[in-house]
Amino acid sequence: MIKSISRRDFMKGMAVGGAALGSAGFLAACGSSSSTSSTSSSSSSDSTSSESTSTESSESSITKPDTIAVMVDGTVFTEENGRAEFWDKCEELTGIHYEVTQPDHDAYYDVVGQTIAGGDWPDVIILSSTYYTSYANEGVLWDMTEAYENSALKERIDAAGSSSAVEGMYINGSLYGMPVTRGNGCITYVKQAWLDNVGMDAPTNYDEYIDMLTAFSTDGKYGISAPGFIGADSPFVNYLPEFYQDAWPSFCQQDDGTWTDGFEEDSMKEALQRIADAYTAGIIDPTTLTNGTSDCRNKFYSDEFGVFTYWAGTWGRNLYNNLVNNGLDGDLVALEPIDEVPYYYDRIPVPWCITTKCSNPEGVFEYFISAMLDAGEVELLFTYGVEGVHWSTEAETLYEGTDSEVSYEEGEFHMLDNLETPGTQYTKAHIDPMLALVAIDDDPGAGTISEQARSSQDTFNANCKSVVIIPSTDEYSQYNGDLVTKKNELIANVAVGEITVDEAYEDYASEAQAWSQMIVESLNA
Amino acid sequence: MKKEKVELTAEQKARKKEKTRAAIYTHRGFYVMFLPVFIFALIFCYAPMVGVLLAFTDYNGIKAITPEIFVGLENFQKMFSMSGFWTAFWNTLELSVVKLVLTTGFAVIISVLLNEIVSIRFKKVVQTIIYLPHFMSWVVVASLFSLILAPTSNGLVNTFLVQIGVIDSSNMIYFLGSNKWWKPVYYMINLWKETGWQTVIFMATLSGLNTDMYEAAGIDGANRFQKMIYITFPSLTNTILTVIILNLARIMNLFESVFVLQNDAVLSTSNVLETYIYYQSFNSGSIPNYGYTAAVGLFKSIVGAVLVLSCNQLSKKVRDGRGIV
Repeated sequence: MIKSISRRDFMKGMAVGGAALGSAGFLAACGSSSSTSSTSSSSSSDSTSSESTSTESSESSITKPDTIAVMVDGTVFTEENGRAEFWDKCEELTGIHYEVTQPDHDAYYDVVGQTIAGGDWPDVIILSSTYYTSYANEGVLWDMTEAYENSALKERIDAAGSSSAVEGMYINGSLYGMPVTRGNGCITYVKQAWLDNVGMDAPTNYDEYIDMLTAFSTDGKYGISAPGFIGADSPFVNYLPEFYQDAWPSFCQQDDGTWTDGFEEDSMKEALQRIADAYTAGIIDPTTLTNGTSDCRNKFYSDEFGVFTYWAGTWGRNLYNNLVNNGLDGDLVALEPIDEVPYYYDRIPVPWCITTKCSNPEGVFEYFISAMLDAGEVELLFTYGVEGVHWSTEAETLYEGTDSEVSYEEGEFHMLDNLETPGTQYTKAHIDPMLALVAIDDDPGAGTISEQARSSQDTFNANCKSVVIIPSTDEYSQYNGDLVTKKNELIANVAVGEITVDEAYEDYASEAQAWSQMIVESLNA
Repeated sequence: MKKEKVELTAEQKARKKEKTRAAIYTHRGFYVMFLPVFIFALIFCYAPMVGVLLAFTDYNGIKAITPEIFVGLENFQKMFSMSGFWTAFWNTLELSVVKLVLTTGFAVIISVLLNEIVSIRFKKVVQTIIYLPHFMSWVVVASLFSLILAPTSNGLVNTFLVQIGVIDSSNMIYFLGSNKWWKPVYYMINLWKETGWQTVIFMATLSGLNTDMYEAAGIDGANRFQKMIYITFPSLTNTILTVIILNLARIMNLFESVFVLQNDAVLSTSNVLETYIYYQSFNSGSIPNYGYTAAVGLFKSIVGAVLVLSCNQLSKKVRDGRGIV
């Protein structure tokens, strides 16, 4: 039976439906908002609880916090990868409850910005170098200098020979964040097969290096390629270190503590000339300017060029595997710095910071951050994850019946199948074992690191220097964006031969130099 | 004759109010249906506009410790004194206007030509082929053209130019890395990607044209070309104006297509306001002054609004008082 509907009934129906939809949308918005505020209130109540714990403690001893509100990015296990198990295990080992906020990795710094602007700060937060310096400058981060310098952690780090990585994090004599690994950096890989083809040994100085690239650049192939002539972030020169040598395009601190702009040094002008000469000579990939990192990797795997300066460690293994998978000889020489290159650059590591709103920062430092590098169980957790979830020592066969089938004997340490992307094994948790500032005692996973990765990482670690953090000033944040854009434009144009080095510096002097001077003055003030 | 304003008595005013209330009550269903849209617009379109106030402050995103400091027009003063801003401003106007004129012009020509195709099947195939690039992501387009235009033996265009003897293999052209070539290449890529899509609107207009006019013109002895010039093109005038005005509203919003195709060497040629804001935010190595980037954004919006209103005024003059907005 078809029921007729009057216009009035229809309108009523539509109105009710519309209102319901509208209300649903409105309530949905309220729902998400209330969910956020519930998280916030939970974290503030946690602060209160730690506050009361702190009050009970005597001044001389450090009280263990009951709860720590933590904000982490995707470098710690995500929900799909066993986050709950990871933090439960952490709670079991440290005796502290963790309130974890983990936004999407890609949107992490958007959420960090909103959280800090909103004032409802977590106790602990992971920050990149840009945010680290700015937030330290603005008083968001707790000064952990005293806590660190009087800690057992410092003794462990010093004993492991990793103190330079922490020293690089000091801003005007104060430490606001604790790295748990080195920042890592790029090392130059040379294809052994290409060296054999031209009958050469790995170069030890710039002349030999250029001779090698020239010998490699035949039959439509190139000596070297890079994703651009200058990096977007510090350390800017890490993809072409043999050409930049001791030149540095940004601000650097002299031995006497004063700041200068490295772009204005003669060493930078000489570096630009070297790049321009090499580009004109055809030994640098002509598409370097428009290359992305994946373009470079793909060209390297398809044997279009022979020398690639890329990340040390795990990438040493990845490059080898991909070359072999393409039917090529995968042997790579991880080059020690040539005579003219003083060192490779270790980029600024990502530190764990404590905010100034944390009510018991000493306790958080001692019982959580310091514990991450205890060389024992907590570090093992942050390095490999949870036993039975992320790694195992039980006898088993993974990926049975596939090309990737692999068997392990009883007692053999191995990483398990990735929960989020089945078919691939986990490689590490938050801490890369090759970059850890303190090694795990009797590391059960040491045998899982490939020779290629170990070799490149050891060479890098023995020849690297940490990048110095530039303190944030008003002038720096006001003018450095324009300054970097101008410098990058001039470097690129000199490199491809559109302008000469002298023309570039004339252009620079006309406007950009004034911005640079303002920043230098503010850094030296 | 000027109308005199009639003063309403209190009774008349009350009756008018009552009438309005009654009208609202009668159409209450419509008002309730409008409510969600109104709330949506209020929350997501108008409330965020409060953010323009940031343009008059120094603000680094850490409100809890360092709240916004009111600086008046200081951010605008800095903006107007920076050469990078002016380069980006003029680049935005030039790239957008030329792109708009070229894509609209070519879309009209292609629509008219498509309209002349008699075979419906062939016409549809051609239409589909020219629409397809519109659906490709700009990132894919950039990768594709980087490869096609590469200054190596892998680059299709350079290899072709070498083959026909225009250049030699040691002097290949770095189309995307040269300030001389970047803009022409940018326009060409935009033409390839967007022209086909723009023809949709013109084709719709053409399909609605009264065929009597063509028959009458034929009886008067007009040939095919004359019909195209004197009937088809004038019929498209209103649509062309509408398309131009609608696109003018977006003229300052140029980011993705430029960002994926630009590189350090061509920044002086390719930097537009939105990429300028991006570099200010992410190139500084520090948390930027959001007040400054908000000021650039506000200026961009004002220029966009002025352009739309000016074009609308112009349209009113040309079209006997009929505007678009």
